[in-house]
Amino acid sequence: MELAGEHRFRAPRQAVWKALLDPEALREAIPGCEQLERIGEDAYSVTLKVGIAAIKGTYTGTVRIADQQPETSYRMLVTGEGKPGSVEGEAELQLSEDGDGTLVRYRGEVRARGAIARLGSRLLTGAAKLLIGQFFKGMESQLQRRPA
Amino acid sequence: MTTMERPVLPKLIGARVKRREDPRLIRGRATYVDDIKLPGMLHLAFKRSDVAHGRIKRIDTSAAEAMPGVVAVFTGKDLMALPGATRPVGARGTYAAKIGAGLPPMPIGTPFPSPDHYAIAPEVVRYVGEPVAVVAAEDRYVARDAVDAIVVEYEELPAVVDPELAMQGQPTVIHEGFPNNLALPYVPMGTGVDPATGQVDNSAIDRAFAEAEVVISQRMVNHRVAPNAMEPRGVVAHWDAGKEFLTIWSATQNPHILKSMVAAVLGLGEHQVRAIAPEVGGGFGCKINIYGEEYVAAALSRILERPVKWIEDRSEAFMATIHGRDLICYLDIAARRDGRILGVKMKLIADIGAYNMLLTAAIPTLTMLMASGTYDIPAIRCELTEVFTNKTPTDAYRGAGRPEATYFLERGMDMLARELGLDPAEVRRRNFIPKEKFPYTTQTGAVYDSGDYEKALDRVLQLAKWDELIAERDRLRAEGRLVGVGLAFYVEVCGLGPSSSLPTGGWEHASVTVERDGRIRATTGASPHGQGNETTFAQMLADLFGVPIEHITIEHGDTGVVRQGIGTFGSRSQAVGGTALMMAGEKVRKKMAKFAAALMDANEEDLVFENGMIYVKGSPSTGKSFAEVARYAYVPVPLPPGLEPGLSEEAFFEPPNNTYPFGAHICMLEIDRETGEPRLLKFFAVDDCGNVINPLIVEGQVHGGLAQGIGQAMFEEVVYGPDGQLLTGSFMDYALPRATDFPWFELDRTVTPTPVNPLGAKGVGEAGTLGSTPAVVNAAVDALSEFGVKHIDMPLRPEKLWRIIHGRGQA
Repeated sequence: MELAGEHRFRAPRQAVWKALLDPEALREAIPGCEQLERIGEDAYSVTLKVGIAAIKGTYTGTVRIADQQPETSYRMLVTGEGKPGSVEGEAELQLSEDGDGTLVRYRGEVRARGAIARLGSRLLTGAAKLLIGQFFKGMESQLQRRPA
Repeated sequence: MTTMERPVLPKLIGARVKRREDPRLIRGRATYVDDIKLPGMLHLAFKRSDVAHGRIKRIDTSAAEAMPGVVAVFTGKDLMALPGATRPVGARGTYAAKIGAGLPPMPIGTPFPSPDHYAIAPEVVRYVGEPVAVVAAEDRYVARDAVDAIVVEYEELPAVVDPELAMQGQPTVIHEGFPNNLALPYVPMGTGVDPATGQVDNSAIDRAFAEAEVVISQRMVNHRVAPNAMEPRGVVAHWDAGKEFLTIWSATQNPHILKSMVAAVLGLGEHQVRAIAPEVGGGFGCKINIYGEEYVAAALSRILERPVKWIEDRSEAFMATIHGRDLICYLDIAARRDGRILGVKMKLIADIGAYNMLLTAAIPTLTMLMASGTYDIPAIRCELTEVFTNKTPTDAYRGAGRPEATYFLERGMDMLARELGLDPAEVRRRNFIPKEKFPYTTQTGAVYDSGDYEKALDRVLQLAKWDELIAERDRLRAEGRLVGVGLAFYVEVCGLGPSSSLPTGGWEHASVTVERDGRIRATTGASPHGQGNETTFAQMLADLFGVPIEHITIEHGDTGVVRQGIGTFGSRSQAVGGTALMMAGEKVRKKMAKFAAALMDANEEDLVFENGMIYVKGSPSTGKSFAEVARYAYVPVPLPPGLEPGLSEEAFFEPPNNTYPFGAHICMLEIDRETGEPRLLKFFAVDDCGNVINPLIVEGQVHGGLAQGIGQAMFEEVVYGPDGQLLTGSFMDYALPRATDFPWFELDRTVTPTPVNPLGAKGVGEAGTLGSTPAVVNAAVDALSEFGVKHIDMPLRPEKLWRIIHGRGQA
């Protein structure tokens, strides 16, 4: 499944970049994130609770950040496993200035296996978009709360 | 005392008798496997592979075993006779330790070479859904939770998904010893092929194509579908340790085969196993197989010394029950410009999934056998390759190999008609096997028993009002609507037997007992699961003995009650099982006539059985009641010389040949220009299944077959992702047709009896799936003819049709 989209933040690029790599900010913004811990250089372990139809369940996994081009782009590699199955994803995020705000574009691919694939593949795109939307909204409100 | 007035009983053979089974089914009073509850019964759940292809690196069952209510967890290695099967399970030990041997690989029913296939994968998983462990727990919920607590680590291997890449060994080889994933590398059939040596002489088929004035060539896919019986599979196993006797209840189509195979795999004698198919909610072929879960349930009951139950859930069924079809065909037809066919070539590639099941390898050979269809084709060459992929294994699904042949050939006939600008009915008529030529031996070796194809064609054209239908289509087209008409003809193999054609034996068994009170209990080795044999078989006996149908019980599906049997598949119940029943009934009637003759001092040849009486022909008032003669047979004072007491006989019937029912289907279909959505407007079916016992049941069977045949053409498709993940694991993603998707089915019949059994009955269980699928696709191609489309692969998804309409190419 391929995912692509964008979000415009009302914050300067430097602040957005910082927030997107800040474990504290990520933990708060990722929907259903119960735990996010740094386990190494640019690597985190996460526990996520997802409450959407066939992909409902608690997932544990890792997030790795790679190919950082400061304030411009990075790649995110995600693996997660839960009762309904497992997912593996890879996405590239690109930041660019957009007037007084910052445009974040993402493009990535998600592979699912287990019940998620069998029962949820039709729902997966919608669910992922929903979760990504919630994530950006959460980030946005944090950026508004704390000054860059 | 015997002269009292008796009601006149109607003759029931040929009558529209309502199914006696239905009241209990409709009112929820039937007993299915899941209704069986035994004291102390444990519940099983299977941990299944989430990866399409992988090596098991580690299975951690400790968390599952620690859960309250979990009695035992077994991996493949624990149950199988393999090194490493040493892990003790509680105090119970491994299966091998307990029984003295592990579960061997599962047997198959075809003679072809086959890789080892264990009920639970010990080392390598080869499709999503393959079992890797089983949990036995005190209740079903605990069992399911414990399965979730099992952690399996795989070393993922490349998934083999595309059969045409698979046969080049790409991206990898699934089974050692089967290079290039070839389950069957090359099987030729037809003209110039010596069946004994497999030697091939191409001269005749090459000549046909050299002399052709027109050649049609097309690659087609008859895609993978899921059988979707209303009741998923299920099994209850009870090992009686005291008697050393296993009773196994299963949602199966053939309890006698189950008994034999479970006994063999568990190392028991057949005298130690009783198999029971209680009420079975449909099978469509998928319940012919004996599955790993049945062996595992039997083995676990034996190890744990408790009854065990496993019930498949719906999404499990999508991946763990066999799939049907999945055949690619490269079709070539050589013809003259007058439409006469000179030769046909079918190059077939069967994607059989990860393993050979009971009949897997044999199913596509039936496609080759039926490549001649209803046509007198002088040269045919079929070539079959069967390929392993990382998917659920395929096997028999309603029609099993014959719908595929019909689809390819009938699509080809339409392409030929279109190419030559001929009426599709006329092209078929010019190629029909004339009725004088029966019995007719096809170039692929099938011996068609009887047929009158022109009659069926004329009947369907009349039923559909063909000329008016075409005029209506043209009128609607003139309004800008996309409307098409499709015709397809079929012939199929039914009444499976004789024994030379089936590894299980090709006979059927029946017994008939007239009880002391004159009521009749009969058994049949056929194991109906929707076919209505409790009704049709009782109709036959009612007429034979002249008694009310209410006085007759037909028992089936229990090897403890039905002494022998093969089972229900290949539309054989009526033709083979029905004949066995009539043979047993006639034996009993003959003996009963001897008792009646003695009682009445009459000649047994002069006796008539009618209206609950046995009397001398012409003088009904002087007869004895049926019940009185029955009583005398059990308390025979005096015993007539040369007679044993009692009225109970059995019979085996082995048919000399298969039967070949046929028919013609026509449909009218419209495609929405804006959305690409297809809708059936009309459907006509003429089927010839020989003599008919109950037209109502025959029509019901045709309706069901049509629903599944149309379902494949329009909606149903099993889809795998490029990584071998099953993407259609629920009814949200796998589209089954609904009643609202169908127009009124207009049905008719012609009657061409078969000479291969005394009933003249051919079989009708699968027929509906044969003609309907190509008829629908033919109609869709016709509807889109203005876009120059030659062929559309099924299913007719709106998106696919929309692309053709809007010039975006074929999906």
